[in-house]
Amino acid sequence: MTNHPVQVTTEILAACRTGDRDAFRSLYDTYKDRVYSIALYFFHGDRAAAGDASQQVFLKLLTQIGQFRGDAEFSTWLYRMVVNTCVDMTRRRKRTTDLSDTLPAPARQHEEIEQRQVVDAVQAAVAELPEKFRIAVLLRHFDDLSYEEMAAILNCSAGTVASRLSRGHRMLAVRLKKFQERWK
Amino acid sequence: MEMTDPAAERFAQSMLAELPLVEAPESVWRGIEARLDAGERPRPAPVFRWPRWAFAIAAIFAIVAAIFWRASQRGWIDTGHSSQTIAIGQIGTVTIAPGTRLRVVADRPEEHRLALQHGEIHARITAPPRLFFVDTASGTAIDLGCEYTLTADDRGAGELHVTRGWVAFVWQGRESLTPAGAMVRTRPVSGPGIPYFEDASSELKRAVDGRLDVNAALGAARPRDTLTLWHLLQRVSDTDRAPVYDRIATLAPLPASIDREKVLRLDPEALKLLKEELAWTW
Repeated sequence: MTNHPVQVTTEILAACRTGDRDAFRSLYDTYKDRVYSIALYFFHGDRAAAGDASQQVFLKLLTQIGQFRGDAEFSTWLYRMVVNTCVDMTRRRKRTTDLSDTLPAPARQHEEIEQRQVVDAVQAAVAELPEKFRIAVLLRHFDDLSYEEMAAILNCSAGTVASRLSRGHRMLAVRLKKFQERWK
Repeated sequence: MEMTDPAAERFAQSMLAELPLVEAPESVWRGIEARLDAGERPRPAPVFRWPRWAFAIAAIFAIVAAIFWRASQRGWIDTGHSSQTIAIGQIGTVTIAPGTRLRVVADRPEEHRLALQHGEIHARITAPPRLFFVDTASGTAIDLGCEYTLTADDRGAGELHVTRGWVAFVWQGRESLTPAGAMVRTRPVSGPGIPYFEDASSELKRAVDGRLDVNAALGAARPRDTLTLWHLLQRVSDTDRAPVYDRIATLAPLPASIDREKVLRLDPEALKLLKEELAWTW
C-alpha cells in the first residue's frame, strides 16, 4: 500500500476537541478505510467484527482526543488504539465467525474468480498468522510505517518489529507456496 | 525448490499487495453518529456547547478543588464511612473506598503521586506511562496506562488487581509487571510478590504466594502463565533458573533471537526481549 492518508492538521484536531462533528467526520474519512481494513483482515474477514472495532477505535479517539499530545505522530496514536482494540476484542470474544458475513464477495468472470482466489488465499494465510505477526504485517502493509513508528505502536523495540515482520513474511511465503510459480 | 529468506519475504510482500484496501461501510459511521447523538463527546472539552454539561463539569471541579484544598490543609484524606472520587490532573480519576487514608504528595503535569497509608483505591488513568504513582509501605505502584485496584494495610501488605493496561510495582530495585487480568500481592520488607493471572490454577497461586515452590509452579503453568514464570526467572537461585527458562520455552516456543545464556545471566536486554515475545499472550 503506498497511498498515504491526508495529513491531519492541528486545526482539525483542535476542532475535534471542541466536539465539531464535521471536523471529526473529516478525520474519520482520512483513516476509516485503513482502520477498517486492518481490523477486517485481523478478524479473518469478519465484517461485523471489523465494523465494531472501527466504531470503538473512532469513539475512543474522539473521547480521548483531549489527551493527545502533539509530541507524538497522530497516526502512531491512532494505530495504537487499533492494535489495543483488536487485541482486546480477540480476548473478549469467542471465535464464532459468521461465515455469511465474511469475505469474499461473489465473483463472476473467470479472471475475477482467479483474482478472488488469490485474494482469499492471501487473506486466509494472513488470518492464520499468530496475532503478533498478523498485526505487524497488516500495519506495515496498510500504512507504510517505519520500524520506529511500529515499535511505538506495538510497545516493543524496532528490532522486535523487524524480526516479527521478517518471520511473518516468511510464514506467509510458506502458506502461499502454491502461487510461487505464478509470481515468478 | 525452497526460496531463500529474502526471496520468500519479497514473494510474501508481493502477495500481500493483492490484499485490497476495503472501504469502510457507511454503517460504521452511522453507528458512531448514533453514539455521538446519545451523548459521547470528547473529554476534556475546552468549549462547552451544552449548558447542562458545563454545569456538571463545573460542579465536579468545585468538589475536586474542595477535596484538594482540604487535603492541602490537613495533608491527608480520610474517607470515613463514604467513598470519594478525586481527579488526577486531566489524566484520570481515583475512587477512594470507605475507611481509606491517603495523602496527595505531588500534583504536577509531569508527576501525580499519592501515598496510600491504608485502605483501597480504584484508579482509572488514561495517560502516557509513568505519570501516576501510588506509594505504599511495601513499594510504589507505577501506572503504565491502566485501571487497577490497590489495597494496603498499615504495615504495607496488600494486593494489586489490574483490570486494564499494565501496572509496575517496584520496591528497592525489585519490580513486578502486572497486566490486565492479573494480580500481585505486596508485603512489607519484601515488596511485590510474583504476579499471576486471576484465572491461574490454585496450585500455581499457592506455589508463588506462600513459600516458593518452583517445581509446583512449573508443573501448574499454562502458556499464559509465562507471566509468572518470567518473573520467577528473576527471583530464583542460579540452579533453578535453567528449569524455569526451559519450561517457558516449552510453553511458548521462542525465536532464535532469544539468547538462553543471556537470559540465564539475567541480562536486562535479553529479559526484555523475552518479555516482548511472551507478553503477546498475557
